[in-house]
Amino acid sequence: MKRLSVILSAVLVALGLALPAAASEDAVETRKALMGAVGAAAKPAGAMLKGSMPYNPAVAKASIATMHAAAMAFGDYFPEGTSAEAMDGTTAHPAIWEDRAGFEEQIAAFAEDTAAGLEAAGKNGPADLDAFKAAMGPIFKNCKACHEDWRVEN
Amino acid sequence: MRVRRPGAARSVALIAVAAGLVGAAAFWGLTAPARLDPARVAALPAGDPAAGERLFWAGGCAACHAAEDAEGEALRRLGGGLELETPFGTFVAPNISPHETDGIGGWSRADFANAMLRGVSPDGRHYYPAFPYSSYIRMRGEDVVDLFAFLKTLPAVAGETADHDLAFPYSIRRGLGLWKRLYLDDAPAVALPDADAQVRAGQYLVEGPGHCGACHTPRDAFGGPDTARWLAGAPSPEGPGTVPNLTPGGDLADWSVEDIAYYLESGFTPSYDSVGGSMVAVQENMARLPAEDRAAIAAYLKALPARPDGTGDGAGGDGG
Repeated sequence: MKRLSVILSAVLVALGLALPAAASEDAVETRKALMGAVGAAAKPAGAMLKGSMPYNPAVAKASIATMHAAAMAFGDYFPEGTSAEAMDGTTAHPAIWEDRAGFEEQIAAFAEDTAAGLEAAGKNGPADLDAFKAAMGPIFKNCKACHEDWRVEN
Repeated sequence: MRVRRPGAARSVALIAVAAGLVGAAAFWGLTAPARLDPARVAALPAGDPAAGERLFWAGGCAACHAAEDAEGEALRRLGGGLELETPFGTFVAPNISPHETDGIGGWSRADFANAMLRGVSPDGRHYYPAFPYSSYIRMRGEDVVDLFAFLKTLPAVAGETADHDLAFPYSIRRGLGLWKRLYLDDAPAVALPDADAQVRAGQYLVEGPGHCGACHTPRDAFGGPDTARWLAGAPSPEGPGTVPNLTPGGDLADWSVEDIAYYLESGFTPSYDSVGGSMVAVQENMARLPAEDRAAIAAYLKALPARPDGTGDGAGGDGG
């Protein structure tokens, strides 16, 4: 009986240690996938704004919608112990956990700006390049604002 | 059996004192702050504030001397106070606004030129190289007086800043004379024998006023730049993370000259990742330069000898 409880507690300790570690890795993978989608959406948006790709309203709307979906979910994948200081393979700044409210505020601003952009895009996407510029400009400012304070130097 | 002569101990003590004095004299001589030849300063033209503004943005003076997170007009208020945490201790950026007593309002052109080009203060002391005069030494004298003329047009900000808080022996300012002997050099950081005029213009901006090497070149144990790995990237000076390799041996290998110039203008990489960290302020300064300056910087970076990443042990990964 005593031996069984020792084994059980050993198993529990092992699980207790293993589970959060696996969950942390999943969280990092998930937030990286979300940010990867934002980057992939930014590429055609940037190319159209720069003039290196012809303007297409459906692509413009897809860019904004992708960013909005990511903005709604991104903040949920930063559990304790997943900063660049605590583990490899992430560029999440320790400041996220020192000033969680500030970080949440930044992500909320991203979600708000993408929501406004999506509304401006309407059913078929922004009518022309100028309309897209007006919708996308405030969204693009979020990239830099967030990466300035919440991502480590890379 | 040893025979002890009377007075031997006293001779030894005298020799030790004499050696100490010679050492102290040598230290004093080797560490003396060296000023510019006054004739060189006198020969400089009157400064042009409009031309100086370009150097103000190229040098990013506001990044350290304006208030933290300053934007817009606040970037022109250079009251100092920003703290720079380093392995040597905490440096505090001084007030360089034209305030008569708290800033540099009472300085002469020679005072400013000696600060920028020799790292020597008006009262003849060494500045710590947190103030990147080891890059500014490569600046043209005319550009230095233009910058001084521009700084004079900015608002005077009252308030003296705190002193640096450094660990021994770095707290001994005079010792910087030795550091300067090792590292202060107005020669180009890299030899580029085939460089055209555009590459040379970029070299001047990057190695001189831009002081890009201050973060992008790894440092040795005494905080001097490891010029064999010029701009090859370095561990982040502020916590985890890395400062990227700018030579064609790193991630910039795949970037075109246009890509680099566009990044400096817009803050977007070719894959539309954005600029981050302390580079945000630098990029926003670079965006205020004429387009030909950004193109020149890009041409210079592409002309650099390729070096492997000097980033050491930092955080890996990308995106999130």
